[in-house]
Amino acid sequence: MTKSTRIILICSGKGGVGKTTLTANLGIALAKRGVNTAVLDADFGLRNLDLLLGLENRIVYTAQEVLDESCRLEQALVKHKQEPNLSLLPAGNPRMLDWLTPDDMQRIVALLSEQFDYVLIDCPAGVEDGFKNAVAAAKEAIVVTNPEVSAVRDADRVIGLLNTHGVQPVQLVLNRVRPKMMASQEMLSVDDVTDILALPLLGLVLEDEQVIVSTNRGEPLTLSSNNSPAARCYSNIAGRLQGEQIPMIDPSKEGSGVRAKIRRLMQTKIF
Amino acid sequence: MLNHFSKIQTISLPLSREEDWKVSLPNKVKGLDEGLVVLNCRDWLLTYRDFQKIEALCGTKGLQIEIIISTRTETIVSASSLGYQAKLSLNNNQKKPTNSEIDSNNNHNDLPLLFHRGTIRSGENLDSEGDILLLGDVNPGAKISAVGNILIWGKLRGNAHAGKLGDDQAKIIALQLRPLQLRISQAIARGPEEKPQAGFAEEAILESGQIVIKPANPNLLRAHTAQNVFIS
Repeated sequence: MTKSTRIILICSGKGGVGKTTLTANLGIALAKRGVNTAVLDADFGLRNLDLLLGLENRIVYTAQEVLDESCRLEQALVKHKQEPNLSLLPAGNPRMLDWLTPDDMQRIVALLSEQFDYVLIDCPAGVEDGFKNAVAAAKEAIVVTNPEVSAVRDADRVIGLLNTHGVQPVQLVLNRVRPKMMASQEMLSVDDVTDILALPLLGLVLEDEQVIVSTNRGEPLTLSSNNSPAARCYSNIAGRLQGEQIPMIDPSKEGSGVRAKIRRLMQTKIF
Repeated sequence: MLNHFSKIQTISLPLSREEDWKVSLPNKVKGLDEGLVVLNCRDWLLTYRDFQKIEALCGTKGLQIEIIISTRTETIVSASSLGYQAKLSLNNNQKKPTNSEIDSNNNHNDLPLLFHRGTIRSGENLDSEGDILLLGDVNPGAKISAVGNILIWGKLRGNAHAGKLGDDQAKIIALQLRPLQLRISQAIARGPEEKPQAGFAEEAILESGQIVIKPANPNLLRAHTAQNVFIS
């Protein structure tokens, strides 16, 4: 039986734009939809994905041991507590940085694709060896960027490299959108960004303080029934990834903020 | 070490319709001595992974790739974004122009035209021995340079250098001309800061040593080229 596993690289070039947060939330959102999903942390020098998923204390083995054949893949995979459809595979030990090669990466992902429908690879920042390793096994990619000049410039460079690696299709997620600042033209608009990057837009993610809270707790936003703005955005992205037609949110109409609207709605109910 | 410089070997891949390069490359590498090589990729569309395989194969024989030559612009863009020195060769045996020829002869009809479709992204560069016609944008951080003119059917937001061997008549034309930096021949200018007017193609030319931007002249390159079209 040959099933086609979707192997998606999540990358950005610049650091701190939200690759790992997107990987964690998208992984949970896909798992909630009943898709068998694996997330692979390729940023093993500064690994964070386990933290965001709240699985840090459960890691025993890594992909490194799987390739050495000192453990089986099933032993290294960490199943998520609440969402058993989601498994995490940490790529390696932060103390041994130079073990992974593009060939190793292809072998790990080949093993994962026997079991899973989706493999999400969390790519390290930068365009050096870490990126080259991570990209080696990827079939498609999601480029994450912020509406900032430097993030867009780095994303552009990464998209060029993805093209030379033959990764297709490449889609865009615009993270940390602040509707108010966009409306007052203090921030690059959605059009400004898509105009330069010339990629299909997979989704917008609104700036949301809840993201920080959820990161610190190790519970991705999409996990709870919490309907915060960013959580909705992440769920929409998961839906679009599966081919659903979900309309894009319009930042100009989000001006007052959804929570503000809900709060207003609740206040009117009280009276 | 001096020998390496006096003798640069060449690896030529077969044409894509004749044979797969992956089959014939090991044999081609076998006969070579260690040192620098020129890799002629002919009409193959090669990606990063392909170049990695080639590099690994060359490495086993102590060969180091000096220049990559190809007739496909996509391969050139790949190779140069990977840090190789890459040159486009043109199919139709057009001779390369020399400096003296360009100075003495302003007629660009004999310069080769490089046509490329696609966006040139940050960190990439596209270079031509003649004119360039680009169907796509040049993004900030990217570079486009030509011995002759640069014509961009799209937005120029990166760096452009026309007439790079010293042709003062060279032009840069784009649907939207908002580069970071412009160079024509020896002159350098920063791009304009104000927002572009929508719907007007613009050209940058050299006027008494200064680069100026104007609405594009409908007689695109040279007046006589346009006349030729009407007469014939």
